[in-house]
Formats: sequence, structure tokens, C-alpha cells
Amino acid sequence: MKFTIAVHGAPYGSFANERALKFCQACVASGHEIVRVFFYHEAVLSGLNSTVPPQDEIDVTQAWADFADTHQTELAVCIANGIKRGVLSDTEQARYDKPSPTLAQPFELVGLGQLIDAMASSDRYVEFPA
Amino acid sequence: MKKMLVIFSTPPYQNSHTVEMLEAAMVGAVFDFQVSLLFRDQGVWCLQNEQNAVSLGRRTVGKVLQAMPAYDVSAIYACAPSVNAAHLDPSRLKPLPQLLEHSAQAILLAEQHFVLSA
Repeated sequence: MKFTIAVHGAPYGSFANERALKFCQACVASGHEIVRVFFYHEAVLSGLNSTVPPQDEIDVTQAWADFADTHQTELAVCIANGIKRGVLSDTEQARYDKPSPTLAQPFELVGLGQLIDAMASSDRYVEFPA
Repeated sequence: MKKMLVIFSTPPYQNSHTVEMLEAAMVGAVFDFQVSLLFRDQGVWCLQNEQNAVSLGRRTVGKVLQAMPAYDVSAIYACAPSVNAAHLDPSRLKPLPQLLEHSAQAILLAEQHFVLSA
């Protein structure tokens, strides 16, 4: 079965990312496919490259990056939600003349159409609110 | 055509989620999803007439809602018990929603391919 995952809750301000990550891990362990993980609302902050969590807490950004690397999963950050919260790719940093890009690899800034497109090709859509 | 329902349960100006999720609804309609909106709990305040968020420095949710028919999003529902609990006059809600009791909401949800929530 194909799943589209949407994460809405902020990293560290909620447990939405941890729940979503565990769900994704369980999905692939059961033979399902994650079409795309889409970060919306405050969850776009999961794609920041400048967070420094305490050593005894999960590094949400790195945990997603590891999952994406292992399972070849696309981590899509809503561009409209992202740039207004300070998540900038190289392109957006240059476009808006900001000091530095802040988007972690392998996250990508994409339009909302990428969420709807993933839903259209999935059997299930699962949201993780704050 | 796939059906997509967006549920709004929070007050319109608690955060930016209402407007952000209305944008998702518009994009869903552009992708030929059959989009419906359901306002319930504190989300029914999104339908309050005569909103103005200029003083907040935010977009006015009511104005964004008025644009939804232009995106072929005209199926707008509100939870009848929530409207009653908020002491809102249903005839003054804008856009005018179809009021649904809980049982009718359950049927509406069961008809959907995807449900998003704000």
C-alpha cells in the first residue's frame, strides 16, 4: 500500500515528528511504500539546518535525513509555509537576499501541488498534527 | 474524481493554520479533487460575518473563504451543534454553510478519499 504522510506539528514543540517517523518506519517494515513526507505548518521547521538539540534528545532533522537516505524517501517542505518561517533553500536565500540558506539536506522546498500529487497516487493519507 | 474534505476545528486567528489549509483546499481543487470544507468546534468562528484581520497584520479568513467558489470549492458545511454552542446566527454565517448534525458528518467523512484537518 502507498502512503502519503503529512507532518503538521513543530519539532521539539510537539511529538508530531517522532510519531510520524515511527509510523513511517513501521510502514516500510511492513512492506508498504511512503510516496512522500510533506512538512506543513510549523513542521517545516524540521527542515532547518541550524537546530542544535541536546545530546540526550532526538535530532529530528537528522532522524528524517537518515530515514530518507535508508528508504529513498522524499522529504518535502511546503515552500510557502517554509520561507515565512525562515526555511530557505539556496535559491530562496538568493531571491530574498537573506544572509544564508537554512534548509537541511536532503529536504526540498516544494509547492503544495506536491502534496496533492502525492495524495492522488497514494492509497492512504495520514496526518500528524501538533 | 477523488473526494477531499478539509476540517477546520480551531478559531480563525489562533494561528495561521486556517489560511494555510484553505490554500491546500484551493490546490486540491486545481488538481481536480472534489473538495468540501467542514467547520466544527471553535472552527465555526471562521464563518463569522464581518471579519477584519487588518489590525492583526494577517489575511482575513472570511475574505479567503469568499474566494473559494472561484476554485470550484462550494460545498461548505458547518457542525450544527457547534454553531449552536457558539450562539452564532446560522443565517448570518458567510459563506452560508449547510448545517450538519453529527450523524450527517459521519456520513460525509465516510464518503471521502482524503481528510485533512487544520
